[in-house]
Amino acid sequence: MVKIKINDQNLYAREGENILKLALKEGIDIPHLCYHEIFEEPYGACRLCIVEVIKDDERFITTSCTLQAQNGLEILTQSPEVVKHRKILLELYLAQAPNAENIKKLAEKYGIEKSRFPKRAFVTDHLNGKCILCGLCIRVCGEVMKAGVINYIGRGPSTKINTPFFEENPDCLGCLACVNICPTEAVSAEEVENRKILKSWSETKVKMKECKNCGSLFTTYPLWEKTKSLLMEMDTELEELCPNCKRELLIKKLTKNLPLPKPY
Amino acid sequence: MKIRSLEDLEEIAHRGIQKIKGEKIRIAVGLGTCGIATGADYVYTYFENAIKDLTERVFLTKVGCFGYCSEEPLVKVTIPGKPLTILSKVNPEETEEILRAVLSGEIPDKKALCKIEEWNHITEYMVYGKGLANIPSYSDLPFFRGQLKLVLRNAGLINPEDLEEYIAIGGYKSLHKALNMKPEEVIEEVKRAGLRGRGGAGFPTGLKWEITAKNESDEKYVICNADEGDPGAYMNRNELESDPHAVIEGMIIGGYAIGAKEGIIYIRAEYPLAIKRIETAIKQAREYGLLGENIFGSNFSFDIKIVKGAGAFVCGEETAMIASIEGKTGRPRPRPPFPAEKGLWGKPTSINNVETWCNIPIILAMGGERFSKVGKENNAGTKVFSLVGEVKRIGLVEVPLGTKLKTIVHDIGGGSPSGLKVKAVQIGGPSGGCIPEEGFDTPIDYESLRDLGTIMGSGGMVVMSEKTSMVETALFFIGFTSEESCGKCTPCREGLKQMLHILHKILSRRGSEEDLKLLEELSMTIQTTSLCGLGKTAPNPVLTTLRYFREEYEGLINDGKD
Ligand SMILES: Cc1cc2nc3c(=O)[nH]c(=O)nc-3n(C[C@H](O)[C@H](O)[C@H](O)COP(=O)(O)O)c2cc1C
Ligand code: SF4
Ligand code: SF4
Ligand code: FES
Repeated sequence: MVKIKINDQNLYAREGENILKLALKEGIDIPHLCYHEIFEEPYGACRLCIVEVIKDDERFITTSCTLQAQNGLEILTQSPEVVKHRKILLELYLAQAPNAENIKKLAEKYGIEKSRFPKRAFVTDHLNGKCILCGLCIRVCGEVMKAGVINYIGRGPSTKINTPFFEENPDCLGCLACVNICPTEAVSAEEVENRKILKSWSETKVKMKECKNCGSLFTTYPLWEKTKSLLMEMDTELEELCPNCKRELLIKKLTKNLPLPKPY
Repeated sequence: MKIRSLEDLEEIAHRGIQKIKGEKIRIAVGLGTCGIATGADYVYTYFENAIKDLTERVFLTKVGCFGYCSEEPLVKVTIPGKPLTILSKVNPEETEEILRAVLSGEIPDKKALCKIEEWNHITEYMVYGKGLANIPSYSDLPFFRGQLKLVLRNAGLINPEDLEEYIAIGGYKSLHKALNMKPEEVIEEVKRAGLRGRGGAGFPTGLKWEITAKNESDEKYVICNADEGDPGAYMNRNELESDPHAVIEGMIIGGYAIGAKEGIIYIRAEYPLAIKRIETAIKQAREYGLLGENIFGSNFSFDIKIVKGAGAFVCGEETAMIASIEGKTGRPRPRPPFPAEKGLWGKPTSINNVETWCNIPIILAMGGERFSKVGKENNAGTKVFSLVGEVKRIGLVEVPLGTKLKTIVHDIGGGSPSGLKVKAVQIGGPSGGCIPEEGFDTPIDYESLRDLGTIMGSGGMVVMSEKTSMVETALFFIGFTSEESCGKCTPCREGLKQMLHILHKILSRRGSEEDLKLLEELSMTIQTTSLCGLGKTAPNPVLTTLRYFREEYEGLINDGKD
């Protein structure tokens, strides 16, 4: 264990422990948009998680999601220097994603009402003028779901996120991990008839799976394919049922041959 | 033939010497990209046709660039026993006349730029001969007087496509020497030399190697960073085109020192000639057993492969380069872990610039101690700069570190060609800054340049005269970095876009004092919070012009008011 200090708080940490993770666990608020604990490696894209490190006579700014606990580490999360840069970053975000409510709220917290930078001209894009290019949707789709449906297109200021060639991508699982992880609620999806439509990702459509028994659309077809369990393989009757019908059938099957409890 | 010993090396050196200063007249045409751009390939073809029946007496060959680009095409003529002479601005039509003179033992005076009686290749000393009193000596020309050619010691003098010529001037002797030392001793020698990386940041090379060597792993890599992308910079291109074996030799020595079996040269695809030459050099080195299994009969094996970049400036950044080699998109990742710890395929990797690698055989030949005496304390050795822009004499200039800026601009470069006042020098490309005339007394070293708000960078040096607008210059560089930003992190991607917007506004005379203030604030945030070096240094052109030429910004703002 090593001793560190965040603002006025003395803390113990494992050597090498991620400082942002630790701070959040301790209830210390550090704004962050591209960090998520499901990923092992920090990404370092949003730069909002900056903190000021005090080391001997030196002071410098760095991102807390890439900072590792070391004995004697001392950091400030809201020093004037940190706040100054964070405010500029928030102004940039406001201009980039004028429709993102979370960003507006965060900016308000820092006393920013209006960005000094001009807003982006088109806010009716496929991500509803809300995307701040944090990369979380790409990473969750590729690294966690192993689907790799979307990626960056282009570079620099013209960077976009979408499917290859802006075409429907048949690899999509319809899991909506991207929708759920997005910090600004930029990704939109809807269910129409028996299909999920990932509106943000070139209207990619994913077929739903119907329960053989009750007819409810209980999951998407590719997800169902992916998650067929061993149990279902042993008993194909269970295979095409929604969780409710599956549970009922299972109970029925399991209790059928059981001797009824004897009355005393 | 496979080279196994020093004797084998000497046997080949002997063959090479016959080509460099043998019994035949040697005509060597400078065929670097710069030479070819001015028609040197036609000059070569004309000579080729003219000597068809004279091959018994004349040996025609290709060499790289000698650095004096504004005098291209350059032709070097060596008549046995006489000094090597450099002819400048040679036209294809003049080849016959030149040939006629040379065959009768004469050098056409009016074409002669200078002569070289003897030459220090560092790894070998070459004596050509005396005479030709009418022709000035190499060291009498202002362009060459202040220079010290270590890295460029072979450029333009030997055929880069002929391993035998490289061996003739002492090539691969440093490798032989290194293989007879312990890897730790090689690293010690590089540390003693005090060499700092020539790719921009100036990190001590010996230390980088030591860290990479100490990280245990079954596999390690060395990478040569040849992604040179700064506008106006072409040092690395020339080094690869003119002396590819020096890079290869350096990499083999580095591989041995850190325990790597594989080297990769990451080179931008826009350098087709450099790629061709380095490919040829690798092939030849393999044929002679200098690459491959059991080099020099030792139990050290090493090979090099080439990876071509796809035109993204950011891939010059080391973590983006590694991603690119691994087949991923070229986007930087946070450091640590540094490549020395977790580099290519997650293995310890030492990435060094082309020119850094070129210095390695020199250090082994001179000894670290002697090398460290060249240049300035803590800034050992030389640096190659590409001197371009509003300057009379254009070309590649190699000077000891610590040389004053004015020596390069005025003494070597000869100041502005138009008689206009030189106003500033832009150093370090898009990551660098503009230094005003008042700063020309500054010695060129890593620290002094940093104090002026710029960086050494890889060696681009663009001279600007009083007619150049500094605000437009800043706009040009921000436009470049914004376009080349990978787009991963917000300050760089969004911030540079907004800077560009403000600069446009100021230039179209719609700017205000608030815009200037915002420009400054934004610059500081981009510099402080960007993920990689591209963003961290991108505001430098704006910050330095604001620091030294603020009145130009203010002038534009005030112009708009009335
Ligand atoms: C945007 C960017 C571009 C770079 N381009 C180059 C380049 O073209 N050549 C190079 O050697 N280093 C370049 N670098 C520096 C490399 O990341 C790295 O520091 C260097 O190759 C290390 O070699 P050295 O220690 O020999 O200097 C670049 C860095 C950044 C941030
Ligand atoms: S859509 Fe959301 S998760 Fe994806 S990059 Fe944009 S802001 Fe991040
Ligand atoms: S600073 Fe620019 S180039 Fe570097 S990671 Fe950030 S966006 Fe990419
Ligand atoms: S959370 Fe650290 S950079 Fe985004």
